[in-house]
Amino acid sequence: MYQTFVGLEIHIHLNTATKVFCGCKAHFGDEPNTNVCPVCMGYPGVLPVLNQHALELAYTVSLALGCQLSHRTLFDRKNYFYPDMPKNYQITQFHEPVGQNGSIEFALADGTTKKVRIHDVHLEEDAGKMIHAGDMTLVDYNRAGYSLLEVVTEPDLASGEETEAFLQAFQRVVRYLGVSDGNMEEGSMKCDTNVSINKAGAGLGTKVEIKNLNSSRFVKKAIEHEQKRQAAVLEAGNKVSQETRLWNENRDVTETMRTKEGGLDYRYFPEPDLPPFVPDASFLKRIQDAQVELPLARKQRLVREFGLSREQADFVTDARFTADFFEQAVRASAASGGSAMANWLMGDVQKELNHFNLTLEACPLTAGRLASLQSLLDAGRIHTKIAKQLLVSIFEEDKDPETLLQEKGLESIATEQQLAPIVESVFSAHPNVVAAVKAGDARQKGFLVGQVMKATGGRAAPDLVNALLAKFLA
Amino acid sequence: MDPTFETRWSQFSAKKQAYLAYARPMEQKVGSFLTYRPDVEAPQAGALQGLPFAVKDNIAVKNFPLTCGSRMLETLVSPYTATAVARLQAAGAVVIGKTNLDEFGMGSSTDLSALGKTNNPWDFSRVAGGSSGGSAAAAAAGLVSFALGTDTGGSVRQPASFCGVYGLKPTYGTVSRYGMTAYASSLEVMGIASKSLALTEKVYGVMKGRDPHDQTSLDPAPGVARAVKTIAVLDGLTDLEPAVQRAYEATLDHLKALGYRLLPVHLGTLDYAVPAYYTIATAEASANLARFNGIRYGLRPEYAENPEDLIRKSRTAGFGDEVKIRIMLGTYVLRSGFQDQYYTKAQKVRTAIRNDLQKVFDQADLLMTPTFPTRAFVHGDRSMTPYQQKLADKFTVTANLAGIPALSFPAGLEEGLPVGMQFMAPAFEEGRLFEAAAKFATRVAAPDCPGTSLDWSK
Repeated sequence: MYQTFVGLEIHIHLNTATKVFCGCKAHFGDEPNTNVCPVCMGYPGVLPVLNQHALELAYTVSLALGCQLSHRTLFDRKNYFYPDMPKNYQITQFHEPVGQNGSIEFALADGTTKKVRIHDVHLEEDAGKMIHAGDMTLVDYNRAGYSLLEVVTEPDLASGEETEAFLQAFQRVVRYLGVSDGNMEEGSMKCDTNVSINKAGAGLGTKVEIKNLNSSRFVKKAIEHEQKRQAAVLEAGNKVSQETRLWNENRDVTETMRTKEGGLDYRYFPEPDLPPFVPDASFLKRIQDAQVELPLARKQRLVREFGLSREQADFVTDARFTADFFEQAVRASAASGGSAMANWLMGDVQKELNHFNLTLEACPLTAGRLASLQSLLDAGRIHTKIAKQLLVSIFEEDKDPETLLQEKGLESIATEQQLAPIVESVFSAHPNVVAAVKAGDARQKGFLVGQVMKATGGRAAPDLVNALLAKFLA
Repeated sequence: MDPTFETRWSQFSAKKQAYLAYARPMEQKVGSFLTYRPDVEAPQAGALQGLPFAVKDNIAVKNFPLTCGSRMLETLVSPYTATAVARLQAAGAVVIGKTNLDEFGMGSSTDLSALGKTNNPWDFSRVAGGSSGGSAAAAAAGLVSFALGTDTGGSVRQPASFCGVYGLKPTYGTVSRYGMTAYASSLEVMGIASKSLALTEKVYGVMKGRDPHDQTSLDPAPGVARAVKTIAVLDGLTDLEPAVQRAYEATLDHLKALGYRLLPVHLGTLDYAVPAYYTIATAEASANLARFNGIRYGLRPEYAENPEDLIRKSRTAGFGDEVKIRIMLGTYVLRSGFQDQYYTKAQKVRTAIRNDLQKVFDQADLLMTPTFPTRAFVHGDRSMTPYQQKLADKFTVTANLAGIPALSFPAGLEEGLPVGMQFMAPAFEEGRLFEAAAKFATRVAAPDCPGTSLDWSK
């Protein structure tokens, strides 16, 4: 009887080589305070210089999410004190963000799709990082000034499960666009979650913000916890208080961080150090050129075009590289359909990747090699078992299937002319078994098949073996 | 004086001992520097070769302190150099010290420095003005050939008028702000104080131009070459100190005698300039000074319970009262729900002032006003309330609000103290300021402060 409303404020680190307002390297994992300069350390007298690439990526995301793009985007100062923020104000966008009023469609678990409205997309700078060591707190400013893109959704999500699916879909979108790693565990994607519940049909309830959520699973759990907590408050006849809560991942609960009364007034005002940015035609052209087919659209097209099942399409389109690989492989192996190729990727290829601990991007199997492997199958030159064997060889020896086939002499024995003498010799070597099968003991037929396979080194085409056995036993 | 002025100052390295014999005792009396390192060699090449200069201590010079006249930054040493300073150094000028100022540039006497006292070289019992008081005093006392200041609401021009030197506030954006500790970012620009008008112009020529470190900087549009003919003056200007009023009337006469047509104008927005200025300046200051909180920059208390306690203790002990007042005022005017009433309204006044001045410049080549309603006052003067003192900034803040260039020029002495007048010009028309001031100097030369001398260079 309660309705849940979830809105997200998603932050992603943009893949820029340098920070958003200075020339320092934007790189994780370096010695603390090595990627710093007077600008990102906020020395008195320094000024920000806007990273054009960050701006391009921000516009690219905005366009991909169907936002209205700002023709004159502005930056603002957001004022608050925080120990890891060198200037004690954050340069962000408030009055005129890069993009506004967009939407993003994503697939739910049952295969239906849902649209979530995007309030705005804005570019800002990240803060440093505090490291607590005993009774000391140290600050690493390497991260201070990273390009951060914030995407704010409307409260259109209705459950933890839905939100988790949305976050995964959003992650795929930014990865497809190549603008961010979108990795929540590594901190390149973060999300503050606003949850309110209310009696069905009564509109939005009182908003509670949850911070410190560093995986989509935690987001789901936190929303589910909040649904129960807020319902209990309402059941008891009380009001939910507007506050910011922190997710405690050890206890699986949310805890009060600050209430509205202790809320912050950020005193936004226009950043006087940065002139407005007005995108010109060539900038907008680059933004257009950077657009890609988004994951959901691609999935729907692959289902349509290649007859993939939902499960196959989900797998193939999870990463843009896999989807590209898939389409290249299908197009290169003219005879076979997409389903066979998807099965390769989901089954044996994935198995070998796991086994060799490799990624599809960095493994010896190329789309061309997979296509020629499939073509050998389609042409009947090898059968499935040999194909699987060849796949392993590709991973081990980094050679083309055709070369491996020649080197190893694995081509199928697929003509009656070649195979009949072998079957005959097996029959004459095992007259008792032949007699038993003829007398009706079908179980022993497998023995004969095995003997034929053994004699051919596994190269006999299984269908032909069965056909010849039937013929000779008749 | 001018050609000899530069030639004499270029002797600085060669005649170091003679310079020091003159300068050290003089500096003892004036107190213009917070850091004084005259024992340096000046390069002997470039447009400004060999010229020693001083830099206000809120401008970054590598390996020099950057105190901003505040307890907060008493121990800070800058790891980098401001772009404008680097350009002057590249042209052969050499930094010999960092000058005193009102804390973070907030004040008009330099008495609000937490780290030193600066006296007016004309009368040691009087202030040098502010906030660039140390720079103007050093220039007037003959301790440097020129000095850099920062002008947020008159901080170069007012001390220049108090000390009897030229004080240039260039068009906003023509000189890079990179390396200038921000007080009110949208209003301020680096400026020059010097006894020589020609050198002021030359130094400006070296400093100006777009800097990739400052996205609000630009290359000045080439001025429209036109001789100054008409000078606008404020209609019925009174409420000046009588001595300043006399100097003002005399200046009008000199300008007429020089053949200028004087055009009386009414600037209806002038009365709103000061409130608008303090609203915008304090709002920006409240953010700009937030970094001084004892964590990354500023005084670190010996003990604190938590970060909040640390910040409170640091700012309580580290900032002077005037700075605290301005931060609080700026925080107040930016509160959510109140911005329309204060900050946004002040921005509208700013636009109105700009439009008003545009109308003036449609009819006149320059606008002339006194720089400040009084001459240098004595230390600790209580004849004006802090409110009246701020109102007195109305002639100077107008140029900052409009982003236009202005030059304070010496307009004679009254009872032994210099009085400065100010020319304002449309954006990028610094050329007109120099042209008219040079003409004026043919009738009223910049005065030599008693006891100062360039004789050491002989």
